[in-house]
Amino acid sequence: MSLRTELGHEREIIGTLQPATHSPQNWNYELTGPQYRAYMHPPHDVGGQFDVSIEHEEKEEEQWELNTYVTCEVLAWRGAWTAEERRRRADNDLGYTMYLGMPYYGRWIWSAAKMLVDKKHITITELMDKFVEVKSRYESE
Amino acid sequence: MNQSKVMEQNQNNIGVLEEHSLGVKPRFKVGDRVQIRNMPYFFYTRSQMWARGVQGSIAALTYPDLVPEDEAFNVDGRVEQYYIVRFRQKDLWPGYPFDNDTIQTESPERWLEPVETK
Repeated sequence: MSLRTELGHEREIIGTLQPATHSPQNWNYELTGPQYRAYMHPPHDVGGQFDVSIEHEEKEEEQWELNTYVTCEVLAWRGAWTAEERRRRADNDLGYTMYLGMPYYGRWIWSAAKMLVDKKHITITELMDKFVEVKSRYESE
Repeated sequence: MNQSKVMEQNQNNIGVLEEHSLGVKPRFKVGDRVQIRNMPYFFYTRSQMWARGVQGSIAALTYPDLVPEDEAFNVDGRVEQYYIVRFRQKDLWPGYPFDNDTIQTESPERWLEPVETK
């Protein structure tokens, strides 16, 4: 698959992530109070919301999930963040779409990377370069 | 929280501190009628929407601890009393069928406001 085809597929997926209610422009100043509060509501506060029934599944953690958990705990142990800051970032700051769509530990590792960049422990360019390096290493194996 | 404090079991089988530490003076006592405040949403809170505006009662005082909203932004200076608040399920969910069922949730003091009993 060519890069342009690949990006075209990605753009189609992004199109499907649009929320059911959205303003066609981003300069609407007509938000009502309740609408404003709904936008400000923290995504993790799902208690009492209607949903479809969920099938219970017994599933063991995968290795990347265990690695993520340990990485986040070690970062806390070394004082980089607290559990509450991790919850704020992983359950809240990433927004509704990612909260509802990403795997549970995917949200954890996203928030760890974001925290390290926000606090200048690493730079975003270092992170990007490292990501490309590791990805190409796996692809060449 | 101060782990060296002696824990005791109260009638609700909840571990509570024998004495209050960190200079915190609790605003509420067991049995007080309270409701969960409808605070504004600013970037982070763990106060649950399902309990807001519903009247319940204080079932136990747990411990003084950091406020989660502050702690989430690395502000660790302020400590507040935490409470176990008990609600009737019927008061929370429309059409709930059983009169006696209750549910308990934990709240720091700032999420609560007193209910005037007539």
